[in-house]
Amino acid sequence: MLEIKNLNASINNREILKGLNISIKPGELHAIMGPNGSGKSTLANVLSGKEGYKISGELNYLGKSLNEISIDERAQKGIFLAFQYPTEIPGVNTSNFLRTSLNKVRKAQGKKEIDALSFLKLVKEKSDELGMDEKMLTRQLNVGFSGGEKKKNEILQMKILDPSLIILDETDSGLDIDALKIVADGVNSARDKKKSFLVITHYQRLLNFIKPDFVHVLADGKIVKSGTKELAMELEKTGYKGIN
Amino acid sequence: MLDLKIHSNEIDKIGKFSKEEKDYRIKNLNYFNDIGLPNKKDEDWKFSDLNAIVSKNFKKLNLKLGKSDNPKINFIKEFEHNYIVIINGKLTASDFKYEEKNKIDLKPFTNEDYSNKKENNPLVNLNHALSHEGFFLEVKENYKFNKVLVIYYFYTDDLDENLLNSKNKIKIGNNSEIHFVDFIVNESKRNFFNNIYEEIILEESSTLKNIYLQNDKSPGYFHKYTKNKLSSGSNLSSFIFPTGLKFNKLDLEFDLEGENSVCNIQSAAFLNEYDHQEVKTRVNHLYPNCKSYQKVKNVLNDNSKGVYQGKIFVKDVAQKTDAYQLSKAVLLNERSEFNSKPELEIYADDVKCSHGSTSGSLDKDSIYYLMTRGLSKKESTKLLVESFLNEIIESIKSSSLRNFIKTKLENQLKNEHKKH
Ligand SMILES: Nc1ncnc2c1ncn2[C@@H]1O[C@H](COP(=O)(O)OP(=O)(O)OP(=O)(O)O)[C@@H](O)[C@H]1O
Ligand SMILES: [Mg+2]
Repeated sequence: MLEIKNLNASINNREILKGLNISIKPGELHAIMGPNGSGKSTLANVLSGKEGYKISGELNYLGKSLNEISIDERAQKGIFLAFQYPTEIPGVNTSNFLRTSLNKVRKAQGKKEIDALSFLKLVKEKSDELGMDEKMLTRQLNVGFSGGEKKKNEILQMKILDPSLIILDETDSGLDIDALKIVADGVNSARDKKKSFLVITHYQRLLNFIKPDFVHVLADGKIVKSGTKELAMELEKTGYKGIN
Repeated sequence: MLDLKIHSNEIDKIGKFSKEEKDYRIKNLNYFNDIGLPNKKDEDWKFSDLNAIVSKNFKKLNLKLGKSDNPKINFIKEFEHNYIVIINGKLTASDFKYEEKNKIDLKPFTNEDYSNKKENNPLVNLNHALSHEGFFLEVKENYKFNKVLVIYYFYTDDLDENLLNSKNKIKIGNNSEIHFVDFIVNESKRNFFNNIYEEIILEESSTLKNIYLQNDKSPGYFHKYTKNKLSSGSNLSSFIFPTGLKFNKLDLEFDLEGENSVCNIQSAAFLNEYDHQEVKTRVNHLYPNCKSYQKVKNVLNDNSKGVYQGKIFVKDVAQKTDAYQLSKAVLLNERSEFNSKPELEIYADDVKCSHGSTSGSLDKDSIYYLMTRGLSKKESTKLLVESFLNEIIESIKSSSLRNFIKTKLENQLKNEHKKH
């Protein structure tokens, strides 16, 4: 699904990722943990195609290089990033935006545009699963949403767009215990043999709910240690200083 | 440079006037000729050097108009309305089929007041000297219009470097209410200059809602001066959607002449190519307990230029004034330009006045976010521009009008989308 080889990324003459390697197969869920400022969000941004980074190394998605593929094309090809800090966009109606987004992705994948009625049904079903009040979707995109509501809105988009490679950047941060369970259920129910996940988190707690196949530690722009979910438990005890 | 001294015998060519009226016209012409078309040295024209603009784009300014056949008007079908048709400034048709006829008076404009002075805006003197077309609309007391009135301002295809001057007056009686749309329709292919003078009088507790809109792009250069007079308890809302004119300056003055009068001015414009658009307002708070609200939004593309000059004047007796003013501009590229000049002049001490002004490019993070959801850069930009301007459109209460304007904006942005 995703093959990252010797990835270097710098911005404003600052090297952030320094030779990062990860390989994710279809159906796998990988967790990335690591200290603040180690480059986790940068990795997520680079995968999404965000501009402004100087990049070298190899990025392959579904066997093809992602170089030269724009942000929107990546989204259309099934890469989804749930943001650590979702952007508030005044004036843009959440529900209309969701529909535009879904239709763009569907069209790019050769599917028919969804009509208003089916869309409403889909949104109702998915937002119910997440315990979201549908009224929220009549509001402006993320504007005035609480921290937790923003995160749920990201997961809602994930569920609606049905992507293949899902990157969750600290989606668990700022969620209360019930919301955490709901979001974890959301992820678990979306898991299947064809989808892959890259879950960035600081807390082992999330990994109790969504069981990772692999856990990586990212420090100073590199993967310094990889293992299974036991690694996350070890980190919980020792902290990042304890590894190496 | 274009020589714009206008000879007094031009007045004779317009029509036969009483001695009094001719005197009035000649005096006004002299006031104008003293100054000529204003240039950027004049503070009020600092950002819109009319003299340079006209000199660059006109070889001459014809005062004489060809006799054009009455053109076919495509009336708006989206909503039921009364109408007035103005062709090249001249009142030519009207229909108030939804109203009680005895409550409305409509006639061609005639001068009644010959007092004159050198005006701050020389184009007002020019208008007083040369205008001989226009209309006078009066709504009698205690009458609420059932349907909106659309005033079609039609410009014919035989205009060619013409200078048009016309003058309108609208008076709304005590407790009456009218909603009207200034709808500008263009067939002209060549440059012309249109200079309108307008007087709007709101008597006690009357209400006026007005929308200013263009149907299409035009090679017209437009200037309009409007004097609005608000008596006590009256309420004026003006929504301005000025797009698609090569040059357009709206010089709007509001006199709050009675307690508890309210005026609300909102504008949303998308400018492109070499459009040049200025909204200049002056709100005069002359009595206590009045409210004024102004919100001006501009999106500028290509080489377009936008200007907002907004002044709030509060007289010493005008206590408890509540005045608000905000200008927001989005520049879509480096060639576009926006100038804003807010001004407060306050002589009362117990007032609430606030103003603000921002301009900048679209938020990069917002575009990034939308793109990660599959929208292209252009689509993201379009969505953000639309929502930026829609905020103004949303505050129009009538849903049929709101949708009509929204569709206009959407089409305009769609065309823009195709172009690049
Ligand atoms: N535009 C930028 N210019 C300069 N430095 C940047 C820029 N963006 C990020 N950085 C720096 O890169 C480093 C990595 O940032 P990143 O956001 O990827 O960290 P993170 O691992 O996600 O941290 P956290 O756990 O706090 O979310 C940080 O030191 C950050 O300050
Ligand atoms: Mg981060």
